[in-house]
Amino acid sequence: MILKEFSLEGKVAVVAGAGRSWLKALASFLAEAGADVALAGQDQKQMEEAAQEVKNLGRQAIVMPTDVTSYQQIEEMAAAVTSQWEKIDILVNSMDLQFAKPLLEVTEEEWHRVIATNLTAVFLCTKAVGKHMMERKEGKVITITSVLAERGLSNSTAYCASKGGVGQFTKALALEWARQNIRVNAIGVGWISEEAEGEEGEPKDPLVRYIPLRRLCRPDDLGALLVYLASDASSYVTGQTYFVSGGVMAHG
Amino acid sequence: MLEKLTLDGKVAVVTGGGGGLGTAISLALAEAGADIVVTDFRPKDGESAAAEVVGLGRKAVFIAADITKSEEVNSMMARAISQWGKVDILVNCAGIVREETGDRAGKPFWEITDQEWHLGIDTNLTGAFFCSRAVAKHMVERKGGKIINIASGFGLRGLRGGFMYCTAKAGVILLTMSLALSLGREGIRINAIAPGLFRTWQSKEMYDTRDPFIPVGRVGYPREIGALAVYLASDASDYVTGEVFAIDGGTLASGSAPTGYAPVIPI
Repeated sequence: MILKEFSLEGKVAVVAGAGRSWLKALASFLAEAGADVALAGQDQKQMEEAAQEVKNLGRQAIVMPTDVTSYQQIEEMAAAVTSQWEKIDILVNSMDLQFAKPLLEVTEEEWHRVIATNLTAVFLCTKAVGKHMMERKEGKVITITSVLAERGLSNSTAYCASKGGVGQFTKALALEWARQNIRVNAIGVGWISEEAEGEEGEPKDPLVRYIPLRRLCRPDDLGALLVYLASDASSYVTGQTYFVSGGVMAHG
Repeated sequence: MLEKLTLDGKVAVVTGGGGGLGTAISLALAEAGADIVVTDFRPKDGESAAAEVVGLGRKAVFIAADITKSEEVNSMMARAISQWGKVDILVNCAGIVREETGDRAGKPFWEITDQEWHLGIDTNLTGAFFCSRAVAKHMVERKGGKIINIASGFGLRGLRGGFMYCTAKAGVILLTMSLALSLGREGIRINAIAPGLFRTWQSKEMYDTRDPFIPVGRVGYPREIGALAVYLASDASDYVTGEVFAIDGGTLASGSAPTGYAPVIPI
């Protein structure tokens, strides 16, 4: 039996995405647990597929084309969602601009773009949606991050800095909003398959061999944890990054 | 995906099952569908927890054992495995800060005895090692199993006067990681939960005074750990191993300044 505290029945979720955002998977997990879902991003095709998936699961979905690096657009999106559904219970920030280059070749423009998408957009979306959560003194903010928030990797200065920033933002905001009953956490994803259906990865690939569980993460591996952090089940969890990494975080 | 968040048909052993967290975890696992072997060195509390599980409609037995003694642990685990033919989940929840072990006893550090040191480490670390060792081969033979170690936020931060407790809990976290790396390819998943402060004793007043020091403004209720234990015990967390899950109302996110310290510094 599924514990009732995992249920998202009656909840409204906004999933804001940019880059490699896994919108369809994330939206489907929330819908499966009972939430209605608003998709916010710029990948129209992906958002429409995600919305259809939500409806197939019997929940409501709206697609809100939004540039998540523009505060004005996010504010308008949040206002539109609350005018349609009266509230926002859950915000999932899923911004992941992939970028890797040796430092001496990284341009200022590239640095700013990575920070803008992976870190600043998290600030902007959380501020705009958080305002609505603050009025109700209730909410869950979950940001999708990476093992590279806490581990180094060559050629990844901008990316690691952006994800590390997300981790610290999460801790600081969790403390700030702790007494307002808004929980702020993150999910740290390990090496995840690029394929939507989740290939396991080539067994001889050195990266796959490095992973203790010897396979890449599949989007499905995140589902239950997302539902846990979005639901009443995690009422005492805040300021945390919970990792799903196949053992990478324990690796020496 | 969500159907994996259940424990139907599973058998779980919960050490320290008669205690505040142990009972709450036993009940949550049972509510999710598992049958429970409650083990504890306090028969009255252990029997009571087992009875509560039965009251939920699941099967439960109580087996008395002192987890600091390896022969008692081995015999307990053998009985647990034979009870229903298998053990799928082990929750190492036994452990404590208590004056008899010298922790927080208010005496000078140099007066802590050898015996107090060993008892503190044995209760909070060795017990987890003994119990994991006693079940690991069985889990590997069945090509599957989940071990959940209840560590503590104090396994990641210091506690004034808490020498044995902190050291042991840090050990539990690293034992978790090494076990996870060693048994990962055999299908076993081992993770740790690092709880903050939870209302596990009868003294309401003691916890009421702690409420304001927690960022969210209150000490935790034991049942709030239950759902996390269910997630980690279930097939839904099969890609999760060697990880630490802190559940503490924001305590570990803090640690730079007193609770509520909120400076305002314009540019």
